Amino acid sequence: MLVGMFAGFVIASAVGVFIQDSGMFGASGESPIARAYMLGLLQRDPNSIVGIRPNQSIAQRAAELQGADTSRTSTSIQPLSLTYIGGASVGTYSVHIYAIGLRNSQGVDQFFPLALTVSGGKVIRSE
Amino acid sequence: MNETRAVATLSVFVVGILAGIVVHTFVDKGPVESPYPQLPKVEEPRAAHDVIAAIGADDARTLSRLVDSTMLTDLDMALQPITDVRGTRFVGAVESEGRLLSAYVVTGKTTEGIDFVVGFVLRVTNDQVVGVN
Repeated sequence: MLVGMFAGFVIASAVGVFIQDSGMFGASGESPIARAYMLGLLQRDPNSIVGIRPNQSIAQRAAELQGADTSRTSTSIQPLSLTYIGGASVGTYSVHIYAIGLRNSQGVDQFFPLALTVSGGKVIRSE
Repeated sequence: MNETRAVATLSVFVVGILAGIVVHTFVDKGPVESPYPQLPKVEEPRAAHDVIAAIGADDARTLSRLVDSTMLTDLDMALQPITDVRGTRFVGAVESEGRLLSAYVVTGKTTEGIDFVVGFVLRVTNDQVVGVN
């Protein structure tokens, strides 16, 4: 029974990942990790993404929190849109590409992409 | 007697598999809800298609005619660490106020022969590729 449960769990996981990546049955292929990372970035909340990106030194984390606090209080960047464009996987690596719409403190709208590489449950590259 | 035992064992195994699938559906949560609106997808722009076709065909001469040297440098960085492109795929495009982002996934091998995947985006304005991210 336990072996069967384990096999069922693994099969369901594998099928789920395949369906997500292929976009079958209306699945977008979007990774929950990539989505959480993007929301953390747009909400300028480094704490919410600390567990899903590579480990940083305490000094790097403190500097990032300082930057987030400053940007929250001194500027009024307003996210306008977050669009998952698509992605793909090879082995343990997956790439997820987003389009971000922002309005900066001068009222100028910006529209730019961000590609995230996810591996081992973490965002290992963001550009 | 042995047959009955085998069927019973197999049944327990199958019930276990079904139970595992049920447990997985409760454990595996999809992406959290986004509070931000999504833009509608648009068709792949022709100019971006030509650039990605040249990359996929390993046609450096055509690529050199399609984009300027700054974009070639950006493209080189975007493809890192892939040095041997094996495949390209258009994954989608979105548009906002005349600015179009066309996204691609490239698979290939690194200099060490490791399979890798990278994603990059071609920025298109007025039917011309104006940038690589």
